[in-house]
Amino acid sequence: MTTSAKALSERASSTSTASGTGTTRRRRETRAAWLFLAPDAVGLLLFVALPMVFALALSLFDVDGFGNYRWIGLDNFHRMLSDPMLSRAIWVTVKYVVLFVPLSFVAGLGLALLVWNKFPGVAAVRTLFFLPNALSLVVIGLLWQFLLVDKQGVLTHAARPFGLGDVSFLGDPKWALATYVFISVWYSMGYQMLLFMAGLNDIEGEHLDAARVDGAGAWQRFRHVIWPLLGPTSFFVLITSLVASVTGLQAFDLVYVLTKGGPDNQTSTVVFYIYQQAFSFGHFGYAAAITVMLVAFLVAVTAVLFKATGGGRFHAR
Amino acid sequence: MTRPVQPPPPTAGRPSRRALLGSVAGAGAAALLSGCGDDNNTDELSFWNFYGPSPTPSPTSDWFTSVIGEWNRNNDVKVRPRFIANAAYINGNTLQTAFSAGSGPDIFLLSPGDFLRYQNGGALLDLTPFLPKGVRADYVPGALDTRTVDGRVYALPMEIEPLVIYYDRRAFEKAHVAEGDLPKTWDQFLSLATKLTTKSRFGAMFETLPGYYQNFVWYPFLWQGGGGAVKDGKSTFDSTAARNALGFWQETQRRHIAPKSALGGGSGDTPSNLAAGYCAMQQSGIWAVADLKLQAPKFDYGIFPLPIPDGGKHVTDGGGWAFAVNAKGKNPEAAAEFVAWALASTDRAGIDRARKWNTVAKTNLPPRASVRKAAEAHDAFTSGVLETFATQIAPTLRSEPRYPPEVYKAISDAIQGTQLSGKDPQQAAREASDVIDNFLLTYRGGSIL
Repeated sequence: MTTSAKALSERASSTSTASGTGTTRRRRETRAAWLFLAPDAVGLLLFVALPMVFALALSLFDVDGFGNYRWIGLDNFHRMLSDPMLSRAIWVTVKYVVLFVPLSFVAGLGLALLVWNKFPGVAAVRTLFFLPNALSLVVIGLLWQFLLVDKQGVLTHAARPFGLGDVSFLGDPKWALATYVFISVWYSMGYQMLLFMAGLNDIEGEHLDAARVDGAGAWQRFRHVIWPLLGPTSFFVLITSLVASVTGLQAFDLVYVLTKGGPDNQTSTVVFYIYQQAFSFGHFGYAAAITVMLVAFLVAVTAVLFKATGGGRFHAR
Repeated sequence: MTRPVQPPPPTAGRPSRRALLGSVAGAGAAALLSGCGDDNNTDELSFWNFYGPSPTPSPTSDWFTSVIGEWNRNNDVKVRPRFIANAAYINGNTLQTAFSAGSGPDIFLLSPGDFLRYQNGGALLDLTPFLPKGVRADYVPGALDTRTVDGRVYALPMEIEPLVIYYDRRAFEKAHVAEGDLPKTWDQFLSLATKLTTKSRFGAMFETLPGYYQNFVWYPFLWQGGGGAVKDGKSTFDSTAARNALGFWQETQRRHIAPKSALGGGSGDTPSNLAAGYCAMQQSGIWAVADLKLQAPKFDYGIFPLPIPDGGKHVTDGGGWAFAVNAKGKNPEAAAEFVAWALASTDRAGIDRARKWNTVAKTNLPPRASVRKAAEAHDAFTSGVLETFATQIAPTLRSEPRYPPEVYKAISDAIQGTQLSGKDPQQAAREASDVIDNFLLTYRGGSIL
């Protein structure tokens, strides 16, 4: 073998070895990636995907919660059509969503704009607004119950000069839902403030500077620069608050602690009704059927909103 | 020849990525598996309850710990208590979730309101073969009725908790109301509550939160006028008695003499409401005697029987929990033996055990005549409010009904609608009755009492 041929052979051998090592390395990295993803994937599979499939299957059975299953096909879904209490729970949920989603949106955005500017103590103010999110909803429920108790509650006393001293904010059917919405907004606005702040911080300073140079006032800067650029964030806040108001923690925990669905079913949301059907009445199949209906509704609404708004990217349409 | 590229050797003393992943996976698996204890050990019985061993020392917790300890010292099959906080046990989903998953406790506490659901679901073991001879006759009339199906006993009551009205003596004195003016009728009660209502205090308190408890405390007013909910497989709820009882509670709200929300643990919690000056009269159960003694020992109070409608009869609701055995548990026979030993033993030690629960650890009326007699021998019911319970209230007892959830919910909606939304009692009673009748058309299960 000549010297040049030997060199070529060595180079080829070296390339082949390097390539083999690269493949092995890629394979190892892929395996490592899967291993790192596995806990999350397994968790999602076990605690989200499988229960969803199980709930769908359960909705086709009459289940009493003591290991007795009886196939009834779509009967649970038929039952929903003639259940006045479910209709009432849906109506309560609709009223709650219609009040909660826009109010918490406006409150979250307002707070974000307020603390976006730097001023002394801004960090403390931000923390203060976010603080309710660090507390358990059960604790929050008990706290508000104490503040709003008839005659002796601190806030009931404070409401007296406005002619509301005799109002039972949590016990009167005329007031209970509004009070529940108010507490939910108070609880959620800090979290939504954080989301909006993230969106605001993503806005390039040049856009605002250019608007200023063009003589745009505060409202015009908000209307024509900030608001359009906040589109994706607003969409995210809208969808998450919609889902949270229908199925989230405050749709159950707060109701459970504050009113137990009362007074006179005025705060009995669909999620609370599902809980009652399953755990108080032992109708697990029916509860699963309502859950399936609820999830299907939320998926459909989200898809429609996504399609209609392009995921909040209005300016790109 | 070029030297093949080798991966760097693992640094000594620092775990490799693979080793790290392996240990994380191993730890995860161990954590998962650690949740799967030895569920098939038939020599260990789980006993779920909301008394003990409690993280906060209490006489009730001590009783549970002591009784279970005594059993464990003398038997090969051991009982392992699991404490579940009261709110989570009574209103939560812990117990039901465990049964749904097929891993319900071997022994557990059961309320009359839940009895039929568990019995119809086949979750309760027939305790009859395990009861000492003659002990059924020792139970006071009615005490076993709502735990019995077709003559077989499926749960053993540990207590009877009758309801009365507690009142604040200071508030009465301030309003110049003498003990002789204690109200006997609904009208007298409403007048007195109006008189006792001030800017910062309500004259009376009844439960306003929807739930089994609200129904439980409302039933006596239904019964006082001769009303009921179900008889011979049909609804009897659309009656004058039901309309009047709904109207009575509605009137307390219309006159603004009762609150729509309670302090503390709700309308059964006397230390947080009556003793705190939130109301002057409060409906609650015999458990409040122990609660007030423990939490408000200086509070001066009295009790009187629930007021009745004109021409009505005195009757109160005898609540109380029972021990039950999971028919699909690990060792149901051993569990039944424990329950029978703990609550139904007829020897002196057994009677004393039950006496201590009913009059030392708690304040209840004992469900067994022999236990009541032993308690009287220890002067438990010879003075104060407990004497009133034993002499005046006990003869008016009626067991808490065991209505299925559908019946309970229909009645609950009628109570809530009339009490808080001002709904016409006649309409509410009729609607509830229709719902109950509709449900009864397809109901199959234990008799509704």
